[in-house]
Amino acid sequence: MRRAVAWGLGGAALVAMPWLVRAVAPGQQRYVLHILVFTGLFAALALSYDLVVGHVGSLSLAHPAFFGIGAYTAALLATRAGFTFLPDTLAAMILAGLVAWLIGVPMFRLHEHAFAIGTLGFAMVTHIVATNWVDLTRGPLCVTGIPRPALGMGPVAIKLTSVPHYYWLALASLGLVALLYHGLTTFRLGRAFHAVRDNEMLAAAAGIDPRRYRMLAFVVGAVVAGGIGALYAHYITVLCPEEMTVALTINLLVIVFIGGVGRLRGVVIGAVLFTVLPEILRIAPTWRLVIYGGLLLAIVVRWPEGLESALRRSGRSRTA
Amino acid sequence: MAFFAVHGLVKRFLGVTAIDRVDLTVERGELVALIGPNGSGKTTLFNCVTGFMPADAGRVTFRERDVTGIAPHRIARLGVGRTFQLVSVFSRLTVLDNLLVFLQQHQEDSVLGRLLRTARLRRYEREALDRAHALLAWVKLADHAHAPAGTLSYGQRKLLAFAAALMPNPELILLDEPAAAVNPTMIETMKRHILALNREGKTILLVEHNMDVVMDLAQRVVVLDHGAKIAEGAPEAIRRDPRVIDAYFGR
Repeated sequence: MRRAVAWGLGGAALVAMPWLVRAVAPGQQRYVLHILVFTGLFAALALSYDLVVGHVGSLSLAHPAFFGIGAYTAALLATRAGFTFLPDTLAAMILAGLVAWLIGVPMFRLHEHAFAIGTLGFAMVTHIVATNWVDLTRGPLCVTGIPRPALGMGPVAIKLTSVPHYYWLALASLGLVALLYHGLTTFRLGRAFHAVRDNEMLAAAAGIDPRRYRMLAFVVGAVVAGGIGALYAHYITVLCPEEMTVALTINLLVIVFIGGVGRLRGVVIGAVLFTVLPEILRIAPTWRLVIYGGLLLAIVVRWPEGLESALRRSGRSRTA
Repeated sequence: MAFFAVHGLVKRFLGVTAIDRVDLTVERGELVALIGPNGSGKTTLFNCVTGFMPADAGRVTFRERDVTGIAPHRIARLGVGRTFQLVSVFSRLTVLDNLLVFLQQHQEDSVLGRLLRTARLRRYEREALDRAHALLAWVKLADHAHAPAGTLSYGQRKLLAFAAALMPNPELILLDEPAAAVNPTMIETMKRHILALNREGKTILLVEHNMDVVMDLAQRVVVLDHGAKIAEGAPEAIRRDPRVIDAYFGR
């Protein structure tokens, strides 16, 4: 009961965030909400990544490619073919999923390090294609003028042009991704994922096809990443190849491992920390990144299983 | 035709012949032991007949069905259960989940159904829970049902792996050294469990080093040496067979 109340209050606070921010820091609303949009998008993207890394235990380094494929699909369909927001996002998700499935067939013949390196190669090739296929992507000139999304059509269209609107869109997307993540990683499906992660041979002896479950997590993760890519492109309105470099993988790994690999709550905490902390540290501009790095290091040393493990432990000692 | 049959199985590793044209049959309800010195190819044979390794030649049939070269998860779903020599559990899953995961693939369901958790799926899950609790009580691990399997002792993990293999009620059970590296009390427990299963009508093929276990359990013994079958027969006859004594102790 108290849990339900806490969830309700927390949810209401998140929905009311634009007004709360305006009340607390009137001049800063756009800036604060801008950071929170990034938090939401990074949290959703990191959850989709954690499906693969945390739940089936495949260290894929291809995630920026699916994010980028989704972002470019949406950006190009919107700017060149006049697609509206929902259809181009849907196309972005389908294409990212399809590419993941095609690339997954040979990749899942590889194991462990070989799989990581294979997927890294794919991610790098995708980045190079985005940079050099100038006729399609405009390469380093970037795709510009991507419209802010509109839901609905014609006269009933709701244009999501303001930052608070986009904040709600990001929040709703994160909510959907979190529900999907929860549904996939608990109960029977989650059990099969974790069996494959813990012991592949034993999983096969249990009648589970390891490759099938790995592929499922990989494709679903890519579909979500493609969708988040589309949301991102429509938000920043300019899309450059740099958005899909290996650096994004590093950021996702930081989020997932600082927060708590394989844990919904942990990954969201990781995303909040990753996006909000550097902004708070602007109070000490010179030392900002040094302090940030130091804090990450301290967290890894103190809670090697991620911040979420610290929460779990304190929760247990309170109930005990 | 035999219930489970291996014909002329060959497995080579970089020119070393690990399994050399081995024939082996197990009739329904039999308890057969596969013995042989270290490196004689017992585990390799297990891996080839359960799909974990491709064989270079030969045929494997189970219930008159050719299962040669089929993926391991498919062989498992046909009703062949197996345990591994090195104790194998899902260490981060709970003891209970270790059992449940062994049954779920035998209950048909779809990904969408699993996401939506349909009524049929919940019924399956209840049936699986009942069976898992019964098996845990049988191997005396009921108190540990909600502990991660990684926290169990070696012997307990061995019992858990054994119970898990029984979850889908397999017709044929392959046990790879069930009595290795456990204490004498646990060996007796294991022997009791294996005999009880066989009396229930389960067909069992076991690899074992412990001769007392083999002599007490097996109705028939097959001996491998350097990948080839060198003897086969009743336990007492095998114990006196000069070829077997040679293989084990040298001349």
